[in-house]
Amino acid sequence: MQPEGDPIEFTVNGRPHRLRVPADAPLLGVLRNDLGLNGPKYGCGLGQCGACTVLLDGKVARACVIPVGAVAGRRVVTLEGLGSRDAMHPVQKAFVDAQAAQCGYCLNGMIMSTVALLSRQPRPTEAQVRDALSHNLCRCGTHLEILEAVRLAAERMAAEARQ
Amino acid sequence: MTRRAASALTRADFRNASGVLLVLRDPPPPPPPAPGQPPAVPGNPAEGPEILLAVWDDGSVTALNGHVDLGTGIRTALAQIAADELDVAFESVEMVLGDTTRAPNQGATIASASIQIHAAPLRNAAAQARAWLLEQAAARLGVPAGALQVEAGMVRSTDDPARCVAYAGLVAGHHVELMLSADVALKTPDQYRVVGRSVPRVDIPAKATGETVFVHDMRVPGMLHGRVVRPPWSGADHGPFIGHSLESVDEASIARIPGVVAVVVIRDFVGVVAEREDQAERAMRELKVSWKPWPALPQLSDLEQAIRDNPSKRRVAIEQGDVDAALAGAATTLARTYVWPYQMHASIGPSCALADWRGDRLAVWAGTQYPHALRADLAKLTGLPETAIDLIRMEASGCYGRNCADDVAADAALLSKAVGRPVRVQLTREQEHLWEPKGAAQLMDVSGGLDADGRVIAYDFRTAYPSNGAVTLALLLTGAVPPEPVAYEMGDRTSVPPYRYPHLRVSIDDMAPILRASWLRGVSALPNSFAHESWIDEAASAAGVDPVEYRLRHLEDPRAAELIRATAERAGWIAHTQPMQRAAEGDLLKGQGFAWARYVHSRFPGYGAAWAAWVADVEVNRITGEVHVSRVVVGHDAGLMINPAGVKHQIHGNVVQTTSRALKEQVRTDPATNTVAAREWGSYPILSFREVPVIEVMMMPRPDQPPQGAGESSSVPGTAAIANAIFDATGVRFRKPPFTPEVVRAALNPPPPEPAEPPKPRRRWWARAGALAAGLVALGGAAFGWKPAIAPVTRPDPSIWTAPTIERGRQLAAAGDCVVCHTAPGGAPNAGGRAIDTPFGVVYATNLTPDPETGIGNWSFSAFQRAMREGISRDGHRLFPAFPYTAFTRVTDDDLTALYAYLMSQPAVRAEVPESKLAFPFGVRPLMAVWNALYLEPGPVSPDPSRSAQWNRGEYLVNGLGHCGACHTPRNAAGAERRGEAWLAGAMVDGWEAPALTAASRAPVPWTEGDLYDYLRTGLSMRHGAANGPMGPVVRELSQLPDADVRAIAHYLASFSTQADAGQAEAAARAAIERARAQSATLVGSAQRMFERACGACHHDGDAPVETGRNIPLALAASLHGDRPDNLVRTILEGIREPATPAIGHMPAFAGSLDDVQVAELAAWMRRRFAPDKPAWPALAEAAARIRAAPSSH
Repeated sequence: MQPEGDPIEFTVNGRPHRLRVPADAPLLGVLRNDLGLNGPKYGCGLGQCGACTVLLDGKVARACVIPVGAVAGRRVVTLEGLGSRDAMHPVQKAFVDAQAAQCGYCLNGMIMSTVALLSRQPRPTEAQVRDALSHNLCRCGTHLEILEAVRLAAERMAAEARQ
Repeated sequence: MTRRAASALTRADFRNASGVLLVLRDPPPPPPPAPGQPPAVPGNPAEGPEILLAVWDDGSVTALNGHVDLGTGIRTALAQIAADELDVAFESVEMVLGDTTRAPNQGATIASASIQIHAAPLRNAAAQARAWLLEQAAARLGVPAGALQVEAGMVRSTDDPARCVAYAGLVAGHHVELMLSADVALKTPDQYRVVGRSVPRVDIPAKATGETVFVHDMRVPGMLHGRVVRPPWSGADHGPFIGHSLESVDEASIARIPGVVAVVVIRDFVGVVAEREDQAERAMRELKVSWKPWPALPQLSDLEQAIRDNPSKRRVAIEQGDVDAALAGAATTLARTYVWPYQMHASIGPSCALADWRGDRLAVWAGTQYPHALRADLAKLTGLPETAIDLIRMEASGCYGRNCADDVAADAALLSKAVGRPVRVQLTREQEHLWEPKGAAQLMDVSGGLDADGRVIAYDFRTAYPSNGAVTLALLLTGAVPPEPVAYEMGDRTSVPPYRYPHLRVSIDDMAPILRASWLRGVSALPNSFAHESWIDEAASAAGVDPVEYRLRHLEDPRAAELIRATAERAGWIAHTQPMQRAAEGDLLKGQGFAWARYVHSRFPGYGAAWAAWVADVEVNRITGEVHVSRVVVGHDAGLMINPAGVKHQIHGNVVQTTSRALKEQVRTDPATNTVAAREWGSYPILSFREVPVIEVMMMPRPDQPPQGAGESSSVPGTAAIANAIFDATGVRFRKPPFTPEVVRAALNPPPPEPAEPPKPRRRWWARAGALAAGLVALGGAAFGWKPAIAPVTRPDPSIWTAPTIERGRQLAAAGDCVVCHTAPGGAPNAGGRAIDTPFGVVYATNLTPDPETGIGNWSFSAFQRAMREGISRDGHRLFPAFPYTAFTRVTDDDLTALYAYLMSQPAVRAEVPESKLAFPFGVRPLMAVWNALYLEPGPVSPDPSRSAQWNRGEYLVNGLGHCGACHTPRNAAGAERRGEAWLAGAMVDGWEAPALTAASRAPVPWTEGDLYDYLRTGLSMRHGAANGPMGPVVRELSQLPDADVRAIAHYLASFSTQADAGQAEAAARAAIERARAQSATLVGSAQRMFERACGACHHDGDAPVETGRNIPLALAASLHGDRPDNLVRTILEGIREPATPAIGHMPAFAGSLDDVQVAELAAWMRRRFAPDKPAWPALAEAAARIRAAPSSH
């Protein structure tokens, strides 16, 4: 880990950053407070609920348990990096179309985990989807709509890929 | 550009605007006092009339409602109502919900009443505005109002559509205010165009893309971060000790943390404020706060008894006929007790708020359910008048009643007031879990009687609900509200059974909370309905009648009967008069259960919301006791549905949440203190994706009937439906949710025998130290100890050594891990000062940098050589063998020269090192001469000619500079490494177990040379685990060594054990994983659930998320197979903060989230699950306490 005080360089949503922040500060807080991002949410600080999920070099990572010093030189993608309201990522669009949110606090983790899942398994079975999301907690009970959103996203992305 | 409907931020903005039509109402008069009900905070006339609707001259419309959207979609549904009644496009409506600066005061968002009751004023206002606009248009167009039609805010002549005027044009240049009047015609259902359509929710796009929506996302310039420190009596909310418990706060304990702005202490309220959130978090965790002892809280191990013992006052809601006489004359009586557990909202996001104190005004952004009541609380807390407080309601993580949203807003207000700057306060997961007002436990006693025909003739129902509204914590902690036990009369929700029972008595035992409790989805209706719908199932069984048929026989409500029939038909209800009529599939017993309810909320007799009926299909594993709800069919009658898709989603949510509550949820309490003991998701697991049932929703088409609240209704009958299905499957009646596998298993099977007593742990080697120490003294003589100083020299000029020599020295220093011990945490490399804990006392590592006064700058090579070979410092004093000169003595002169060259060429750092203080006689340095005489075999040593060069190189590195034995070899009583078979056979170091590197290894898979190499090179082996604790830094140092050296070390170490090839190792690994997996079925229970939820996201058998970091099979992890639990327990408590290599990944520390009992439960389960061939570890809770008390420095 880099010593405290040295700037930490990493890429967030395609943009390079050089931040002088405590190396042991959780990545989650740095993304939210130092970079002003809202996507990753604080849920438990223990890597249990998945609300803070980001992609780290393309893999699902729980930003609440990773110190920012450990992402030096790596690529972080947050919900904001997938797409915006006017140009949504197909997974975001599928979640909106399937109305896959009640309070929406877990939505970040559901979408990020789905993006990671579909990138390694473009046509997952329902059991695979349930497994992949089994550690993303939702309390409102939006599970059925989320499963539908993942199915919709997989279908659309597969159709796009065929074109 | 912001449309006008979104630009008015205060009431005055509306009132002062031009180009607008407003519909206003006077604040309703305060409601009559309702004893025992949540307080209603009346509107304040000083703030003028309330605004319900604004039609703007740009065509946009503001619709205002005092309720808030808790994720239920009312922001969308209310906008649909306003758009429809006003005849504007849905998209033109801007909803303003809940905030005190603009919205009307319509009370708390509770009881599913937002649409059913509280939409009425808005709808009325919209109709009134439409009528006024039509009137204006009639005048403008010269067409009678009756000959006009409106579409999307455009008024046209029916005869001549070209003659038209827009609403916008009608209000342009005017400011019109209409006072709300009931004297206006509302649309009839056949005229609805927007209402009744599944309009997509307006809030989801912003949530799916990370826009600022949640209170958690609020940021303002100059904002600081706050955290609170809560008292230790988590979950208590009354008793004279509250507000008088704080003993002291040691501000000096966080003096070293940068960025701390303030520590705020007001009686029992303690908070910290810092510039950065990580600083505030650290300050919260490290601030030393002492609390006085507090009195014993009521015993909670037996909930039923705890509720019976809680003082109460009986209130009879209904008494019809002569219940006692009817019971006495009944042919069959069924007296049953049902007990509901404490449960949690368990919001995914811990509560958060932002407060900005500006001296005479306070702005607070919060996620409250009831903004006006919170504002009144804040007034009480801060002394400001309510009118000086702006409460801006932001969206929050879903809550299903009162969670900590108000508590954190009050915390933020206090901290902002203390520092005079905006402060955002985020509660931690632990705080939310511990302190959220729980859904109350509840006790229902039913005595019912059946006549000879099996009909119910008498029903005596008593319910006890220990809950109130939960006073906002800061008010209690600061003493603003006295901590008295207050009872609310809220146990009466759905307390009246929905059947015609001729002799009926319903009474409610009102009582104060035991644990801090408030309303949670369904409030007391869930438990009450659980009792009613379980009992009637029991009665049906006793009468030998099909449960659905039996209910219909007792039913008078035709709407309910129609729903019940339709639901049963849709679900393919299998009529039965006895349980266990269906064939089992292997160990799976199948059953079907029915229940229904109409949620009756608010004060008795209350309001009925939607009707809901469940048919639940379950599979019960008769061996493990696991209950799987495989399918739920819900029939639902909500009258007119404003947004049918929204209603359907609410039903899905209710089914999932209720299934979770029924199967899994119960708040854990500490058996010793009776405080809440669930701080994270492992100890309060909720349903996961894998367990979600198939859900089919059947909605009764009733567009002609008024809308009925749909937010909670479908939760109400769920638990009884599941209990009834389990009864059908097993013939066993469960009356105390949750129906966990252990509860069901215990009822179906006798418990399995306890595992045999584990062997006693080995005696610690230092336990015998005292005895031998005395011998040492006798043997020794101080005269042996003296050695001459070697004259100081001027630091040699590093240019005398060649670059390759210095480079070789650097590698040798890495092989020797010099920097690991000789660097203090956070200090300069090799500048010493690290405390090394030995059984004989603390030794401080010396400064190895070439500083002439505090380091080794004035050491000649001879002095260095003597230190390495004999453990004697340049000045002649003896070094303690914590410095492993017994190993270093073997290093060749050439290597010593290179090492010396490297050290002397490093930057000098001036750093005094504390003096080491050891217990007698070890503190007497001259006695070390005796020790050396006994245990030092002076080197260097020659290679073994019978072995290969690679083996000899490995031996040299392992036993020389690498000094592996220093950690991995057990020591004798004098602290010397033992020889022979004990060599490298495993030992304890700095609170970690350094496992055996020899045949004594407990690893389930034999170490191959390749695995050893992988482990040393990368810090992990997929067949053994990752380097952790003190081994982490060793691996980091080894990374600087050439590959050949690491291979040589692996080659040498591999020679200790029988060699397995990679194929054999892989087969052994697969077998170990399989053995462990086979355990899973028999170890179902609370520890398994804790593991699953607390650890399972990263540690799983490949059927869960693929996370950053390695998921090494735990069945192979050394920490689970050792003789001692230390490495596992320490890893659970402390996590992995600095993995040896990034690929390993990080692990959070659970010390703040799991108590010793929970750690013990988890570790014991993991041992049984992942190391089934090893004996159980004894006294795990004690081990957890011991390890927690001595944190590791790695």
